[in-house]
Amino acid sequence: MMKKNEIISCIKANKKITDYELTIQDKNSRELFYVLDHLEINRAVKTKTVKIEVYVADKKTVGSSTVTVTAADDGKSLASKLNKAVTKAKQARNAYYPLPEKTENIKDKKNVKRDLNDIAGKVAKAVFKADVYKNGWINSTEIFVSEFTDEFISSKGISHTAQSFKIEVECIPTWSNKKEEFELYKFYESNKPDYRQITAEIDDILKLAKDRSNAKTLKEVDLPKDLIVLVKNDMLEVITDSISSQLSYASVFMHENHYSKNDTISDTAFDLTMKPVVPGCTGSKKYDRNGIVLKPKKIVSKGKAIAYFGDQRFGSYLKEEKISGSLPVCEVKADGVSYKKEKHLIIETFSSPQMEEDSGYWGGEVRLARYYDGKKYIPLTGFSIAGNIYENMKDVQFSEETSVLKNYKGPKYFIFRNIKIS
Amino acid sequence: MLDQYLKSRITDAERLVEQLQKHYDYVSVLGTCVRNKMILVSTHVNSIDEVDSECGFVIKVYKDGRYSEYSCNDIRDLKSTEVVKSVTLNQVFSSDFKVKMLEEQPHQEDYLREDPADLSDTEITKALTEVKDAMHKKDERVINFAARYMKRETSKIFVSAKKRLSQKYDWINVMQLDVVREGDVIKSNYEAEGEADSALALKKFKKHAPEVLDIALRLLKAKPVKPGKYTIITDPSISGLIAHEAFGHGVEMDMFVKNRAKAVNYVGKPVASKLVNMFDGASSCLSAASYFFDDDGVEAHNTQIIKDGILQRGISDSLSAMELGSEPTGNGRRQDFSRKVYTRMTNTWFGPGKDKYEDMVKSVKHGYLLCQTNNGMEDPKNWQIQCTASYGLEIKDGKFTGEMIAPVVISGYVIDLLSSISMVSNKVTVHGSGMCGKGHKEWVFVSDGGPYLKAEAKLG
Repeated sequence: MMKKNEIISCIKANKKITDYELTIQDKNSRELFYVLDHLEINRAVKTKTVKIEVYVADKKTVGSSTVTVTAADDGKSLASKLNKAVTKAKQARNAYYPLPEKTENIKDKKNVKRDLNDIAGKVAKAVFKADVYKNGWINSTEIFVSEFTDEFISSKGISHTAQSFKIEVECIPTWSNKKEEFELYKFYESNKPDYRQITAEIDDILKLAKDRSNAKTLKEVDLPKDLIVLVKNDMLEVITDSISSQLSYASVFMHENHYSKNDTISDTAFDLTMKPVVPGCTGSKKYDRNGIVLKPKKIVSKGKAIAYFGDQRFGSYLKEEKISGSLPVCEVKADGVSYKKEKHLIIETFSSPQMEEDSGYWGGEVRLARYYDGKKYIPLTGFSIAGNIYENMKDVQFSEETSVLKNYKGPKYFIFRNIKIS
Repeated sequence: MLDQYLKSRITDAERLVEQLQKHYDYVSVLGTCVRNKMILVSTHVNSIDEVDSECGFVIKVYKDGRYSEYSCNDIRDLKSTEVVKSVTLNQVFSSDFKVKMLEEQPHQEDYLREDPADLSDTEITKALTEVKDAMHKKDERVINFAARYMKRETSKIFVSAKKRLSQKYDWINVMQLDVVREGDVIKSNYEAEGEADSALALKKFKKHAPEVLDIALRLLKAKPVKPGKYTIITDPSISGLIAHEAFGHGVEMDMFVKNRAKAVNYVGKPVASKLVNMFDGASSCLSAASYFFDDDGVEAHNTQIIKDGILQRGISDSLSAMELGSEPTGNGRRQDFSRKVYTRMTNTWFGPGKDKYEDMVKSVKHGYLLCQTNNGMEDPKNWQIQCTASYGLEIKDGKFTGEMIAPVVISGYVIDLLSSISMVSNKVTVHGSGMCGKGHKEWVFVSDGGPYLKAEAKLG
């Protein structure tokens, strides 16, 4: 693979290129794939991914084209690719926008030495420590332990380096009620090795698989009409991503936004701040794809939309004074309410959370829910819920408990009324 | 023509196989080079890019009942000792279980299928721009029109002690998205063409554009469905979605190995109405997942999964087939060279029946024609369905009423749905423009389709 300096020299040698952005990612990972508790295959990955965004601009327009540099490239072939990219950039014209200038350069290089095979082995032990039940077991497990070094260099003098580490565990827990087996899906992600937490998370999902094996259908329970519905985990990311995207520069510029500044999203006071880095959120990033160093930006205050956020291109088109950059994490703050004494339905897992931002339709097929009938929780399965997120947000409430997900930090549950259950 | 870089690395792959055979009982090298060109013409953004292109190698080895793999960018200077060191595990949690070793038959072959149209970027951009301008001219409620041409050129080599294979194949997708707005109501509709010929894909894109916009505009007035059980007719896109999501994932035989598929207990038993036949295979038709050999170096197959309502067999990658003592069906696929092989669907579709579409519509007392795949999710263990159609058209007393519902979620139990199929149209359409994940990751290009199917289903 060509070295960084050789690539930059090649780019600089092409005088038709107005600007460029070079991104390099080195990935080193170890992966373990289990069927039950036997290791079927282990993998090692050592790769480098190099991309160049080539810009060709005049006073009114700009065009860009992406070039992927592979191991097949040398100086001659890259020069040819760059020439072709210039031609493409000249052809695909857009309204002019300037690239971000250098503010500060991030050098997040820790030079931590890790034995990835050793960590992967310890993660495996932590997973199978939870595999202690007679009627429940871990059907299959995939473990990924990866470290990344990312570099971003632009013609505007920006030069960032960031290192990251990630543990991912995909696990399928199964439980048998002696007539039939039931399974659920668990994806755990963390940027620090917390083996106790891994064991606890796997134990929790095994218990939920047990609940699914004992779950009743809607026909077997008598749900009240005004039942409150609590959603959690990935559905919270889907909802907050959908709300925040309505306030993105791109949606506003393209007139595809359901919310504008000063619109009331909810009568319930809540704040939504887009953040670059939140401890525990593995989607955290210090800079965006154009190299903008990210700072938190509050876009919803007391339930009302107060600002837009987003990338350089659409921020420029909207003539925003200070462009936020693409912020990856949604943090929600709100006063929590107690729901525990009221009859309620907690949706534990969807088969796949659905959201159609155009219409606001959201919901999906529920793999497991727990209905609290005022005395006890009854596991339920085999039904769907549906609502309109723009309507449902008007009287949403939030739990006191909190959770931290890949791209979300905030209340553990969003509590909705008027949800169709069928 | 096979990518020249890959061609230049065949001798390196042969060297690695020879060296690593001193340490391992089985060795193979897969090299991939995928070039994706994307031309985007839209109301607000235009670009011509090389997106998600990849080039690299994966070395697979076997010893003492376990497989190991090493993925890297290049093998020219790769020493066998580096591979051995990287994949050797000193202490790792595992029960004492030995996976069987792959057995291969000698095979050497080079395959080629290239886009016959040699269109320039200018010609393609012009074709996309003309349609974009025409759609804006047609209705002022269009707030964004995006047309995306994507050509994927795939080159692969597979080298082991007994095999030396190469393939190069192209696939073209042209996608259009219409976003329309009336007051505060925003709706969108899309259509994607998939062809092995750029000129044909662009021709179909142009032909379908007015219909795609018409549906987007009708969606502005669409109403939600009243939840309940209805007679439905699925268009080929929704038939394909059912074939793929509701049933196909459940017959991926790595799921049989893990005992994660209910289907394993139904082989040789009825799973659908007698009118139902279902197929999968990279050679079952020419579409998005039509390759010549899979990522295990197994030649493409055409597998009949359901015959006259009876489940015949599943589909498998080599390793799953070894474990189950069956033949691999050429369904071993990786997202890219840095990912593992899984059993994956390719082109998955229901076979034709004998009914005429018009007669099927006439036979519906009250129900919906469900159209346009939105999304779906599998549940191979428990066979629950989640399939979403973008919209449905109401049929009463055999005639369309003009009412549209959107979106429409089909739910229920897979076997109930497939067993309720009472009419099957005589023409099959396969849509070659999809992507599919396994669980929530591992994305590969797939196609699906079928005829129109009449059935009973729970809608919500």
